[in-house]
Amino acid sequence: MIRSGRGPSDDRPLAVYAKENGALQLKGVDARASKLGLNLAMSLADARAMQPKLEAVEAEPEEDARALDNIAAWCERFTPIVVVDPPEGLFLDVSGCAHLFDGEENLRVEVVTRLRAQGFGARAAIAPTPGCAWAFARYAKQKQRLTPSLAMSEDWQAQLAALPVEALRLEPSAAALLRRLGLKTIGQILHAPRSAFTARAGENAMLRLDQALGRTQEALTPRRPAPPVFALRRFLEPVFTADAVLQVAQDLCGGVVEKLDARGAGILRAELVLFGVDGRDRVIGVNVSKPLREVKPLMRLFREKLNIVGENLDAEFGFEAARLDVARLAEFNQRTQTLVSVEASAATDETISGIADVLTSRLGPKRVVRPTVHDEHSPERAAGWRSALSRSQGGKAKKPPTDGVQRRPVRLFSPGQQIEVMAGVPDGPPIKFRWRRVMREVVRAEGPERISGDWQKREMTRDYYRLEDKQGRRYWIYREGLYGEGEKPPLWYLHGLFA
Amino acid sequence: MAGQPLHEIGPAGAGFEASALGFTLALAASWAGPAGVIWAGEDAAFAEEGAPYPLGLAQYGLSLDRLIVARAKKREDALWAAEQALAATGAIVICALGAQGKPLDLKASRRLLLFAERHSSRCLLLMPASGPSAAWTRWRIAPAESNAEPDELGAPAFRAELTRNRGGSFGSSFIVDWNAHERRFTERALARDLSAAHQDGPVDPLWARAV
Repeated sequence: MIRSGRGPSDDRPLAVYAKENGALQLKGVDARASKLGLNLAMSLADARAMQPKLEAVEAEPEEDARALDNIAAWCERFTPIVVVDPPEGLFLDVSGCAHLFDGEENLRVEVVTRLRAQGFGARAAIAPTPGCAWAFARYAKQKQRLTPSLAMSEDWQAQLAALPVEALRLEPSAAALLRRLGLKTIGQILHAPRSAFTARAGENAMLRLDQALGRTQEALTPRRPAPPVFALRRFLEPVFTADAVLQVAQDLCGGVVEKLDARGAGILRAELVLFGVDGRDRVIGVNVSKPLREVKPLMRLFREKLNIVGENLDAEFGFEAARLDVARLAEFNQRTQTLVSVEASAATDETISGIADVLTSRLGPKRVVRPTVHDEHSPERAAGWRSALSRSQGGKAKKPPTDGVQRRPVRLFSPGQQIEVMAGVPDGPPIKFRWRRVMREVVRAEGPERISGDWQKREMTRDYYRLEDKQGRRYWIYREGLYGEGEKPPLWYLHGLFA
Repeated sequence: MAGQPLHEIGPAGAGFEASALGFTLALAASWAGPAGVIWAGEDAAFAEEGAPYPLGLAQYGLSLDRLIVARAKKREDALWAAEQALAATGAIVICALGAQGKPLDLKASRRLLLFAERHSSRCLLLMPASGPSAAWTRWRIAPAESNAEPDELGAPAFRAELTRNRGGSFGSSFIVDWNAHERRFTERALARDLSAAHQDGPVDPLWARAV
């Protein structure tokens, strides 16, 4: 567990203070200050009087929170499940990760030494429950903390019993009360009658005890949602090149695919997290339109993505670990998979979504799109585009008529571009019109097709005409409103081009 | 023409961009198989003349559930997208380039040709200007007067000039109507062009001519 703050600059004791009820109150003291008799009950003035050499810093809770979050992010190289426990603690769920670090004790030592190397004071314990780990990290004697693998030892509950009651994550008032009752260690509470204890110390104290002992499961919310499936690798030597990263990604993909096989699931979004030696991590995410459970297409997506971010990978000091998270997964339908080779149309659906996946990985979801058709009268709302990755509209999508008659243009201007029109008769099509500074002579006209606007949106009725000019170019224009309706004559717009 | 993997299409003059696009879409619709049509292009190729409109595309004969549009900021990304799409067997890829910038270089068009050859896919290069290119044919397209009754617009009509043909003669021009319902071109019955081929039935005159 980590004490937030910076390393002491010299030999002077360090304290953090904050304003409380008009007085400057100590909020934190380092080990040296604590040894000199300073504690959190003192005001800054008292402390200064006792220790004139005291170096005092004003508390910056927001800065501390940010620092803690940064440390938490850094810790994700050990496990994806990191829980921030403000103001100064972190929980790392290392179940299933310890073997990558040659055992729990090595993992614990590595976390602590590397945090200390960065200038943070840090203490850590590994225990079967979060509550127990919290207690040991803070209240166990150093020798006890170093006891190899508390989690493995049979008598961890007995060891926990020896710790003071404060180790139970209690409110200071509750802890003080227990002390007044003469209950100094957790062990003493263990043997106290349950109902009487609850009545005195409150529900919370009992809950904390149960959590520490593992009688009750404790639900912790990780800093980032824990991926349902992930694979983690660390490297003996830092990795620098894109090729090496790809190699690692391939390994991880293999690992993840195996796990997905067992769960009967496929990937919808995967994130490759690269942990830099410099403490920063980079995330490379790929999205897939259909659940995927094969290494090859997955690697194709990552390769494309890495090609773009390649230069921005900024692997100056290399990467020391990598993790592949399956951020979103979906049930993988074995049946569609086997049918692919049999049914031609299914196979090509796969092809099309495969292309969409690859293109999207580089261009982004907004730039790779499929058409959508809606049941709307307004031409602007009757059709649109959606990301090619999004699930299809299903069978309910309206099929546009395909009798070969061109009622709608292949290109649509939105909004329509205003044109200057010379109409023959007031309600008829134009004889000439000017668009983009060029006068166009109309030789053919079809229409009008009346499309009434949405009255709720105060849209006017439009009369659409399809026109052909002298050169054979074809236009889709409309008149907004009717003649004689308003004071001014209605305006004309060019809305699209027929090809 | 149908059998060849790379063709280049451009407008015969300023203001005919829509016709060049229409001709390209028509070819794509007539060739499209189950692997669908991928329309990849630079932003410039989409913005100038309005955005592709799904209802119009459907009426043109394109199958909307087998159409993907990819817009790229840069030309290299558009070409990359076209190449990736060509890697899907049987895909029809429209690669649309904007008016800005240099014409496509020979190397880039060769790459498209190679991708298409390798995967039995086909590429239609839609661009306003052209330089040297690996394309099998090059077409210059202008609109043609409608062939319908006076108060109708009728089928899309093109004046298509074959300005380059690696496989045979070129320089001839055709007036064709696009039958979106049957997804094929019909050539206007000009006396001098009546050939046995289309008396026999729906053989596409463009294909017969340019193969």
